Parts: sequence; structure tokens; C-alpha cells
Amino acid sequence: MGLGTTRNNFEGKNVVRLEYEAYVSMAEAEIKKICSDIRNKWPMIQHISVHHRLGVVDITEASVIIAISSPHRNESLDAVKYCITTLKATVPIWKKEVYETEEYTWKENKECQWSRNEQK
Amino acid sequence: MFAQVSLLYFARSAELSGVRSETISIPQQLTSLQLWQEIVKRHPRLGTIRDHIILAVRQEYVILGDQLLFLHPGDEIAVIPPISGG
Repeated sequence: MGLGTTRNNFEGKNVVRLEYEAYVSMAEAEIKKICSDIRNKWPMIQHISVHHRLGVVDITEASVIIAISSPHRNESLDAVKYCITTLKATVPIWKKEVYETEEYTWKENKECQWSRNEQK
Repeated sequence: MFAQVSLLYFARSAELSGVRSETISIPQQLTSLQLWQEIVKRHPRLGTIRDHIILAVRQEYVILGDQLLFLHPGDEIAVIPPISGG
């Protein structure tokens, strides 16, 4: 199982909250594709659950939860890792980090092929 | 031939365009780059993020380039800045 929580500091500025928005219909479709991929790669997987918070998320709370069950834990752990990595690369969700000054930054995943921080 | 399509803007692109969604009438056949140019014509400030966006046409990602698109009335097109879910 993977639980994604918030780092509370960026370049010395305190993050007071996160705000998430999504292209909801496409995000759901992309998450379904990830689930299909997981079932093809790891046929022993039993249940898959992916939840992502939208709107305001307090810095003490989890933004995303992925739960995958299988008879052997290695498949589940590999599938969770695949799920989060692919989610970060493909699912149209955007995170805004808001600082105590009320300034904010739109974050960009390094996994995203079109981000400024892309690692090739 | 022209088609009325929906444009959706998210995150930084919504801030730059000033809108979250709109309907526009554009040629049914055009390259993805030409589609981008139609969008920037209407919202010039979007030009500043050109190198870091991708489009989604009917919920499939399309990079800006020579790919020829065949649009249908009511198609949904989204401007997708770098994503940050997870």
C-alpha cells in the first residue's frame, strides 16, 4: 500500500496547504488504463484501489492512496510502485503549493514528459 | 469545414487564459500545432508556456507538431500544463 503525504517546506518557504485540481474525466480514464496495465503485467493481483484527493489538502494529510492486494507481496509492491510512477507521468492532476505568504507554485512532476524538470 | 469544439484550461493555462472553458469554431482538419495557434490567437498570454504544455484531444494526449487532427463537433480539447498528481 502506498500513502502519499506532503513535504512541508520548499526553498525555505513554509507550505501551509496544497490545492489540487484535475481534468476529472480524463484522470479517471488514465487511472483505469493504469489498472488495466497492472492486471496485464501482474495477473495474480486481486484488488486495486486508487484514490486521489482534490481541492484543498492540509499538509498533514495524505493526497493519494493506492492499495493493491495479491497472494504474494512482491507483486503488490511492484504494482504499487508502477502505479504511482505512471500516475505521476500521465494522470492530469495539478498541485499548487501555497506558502504562508499566500504565494504559490504550480508543481511539476519530473516524471512528466513535458515539465521543465523532466529527467531524460 | 468548421466544427464547434470545447476548450478546457487547467492550472497555469487557466490563469493565463482567464477562462476554464469555452466553445470555439475551428477547422475540422488541422495539425496539432495549428490547433495550438488557434488557441494562442484567442489567448496570447498562453504563448509564454508553449514549450511546456501538451494538448488532450478527445482525452488522448497530442504533442504540438505535424500530427493531423480530425475534429468532430462537440469534441473536447484541453490545454495540459506539466502535471503534478501523486
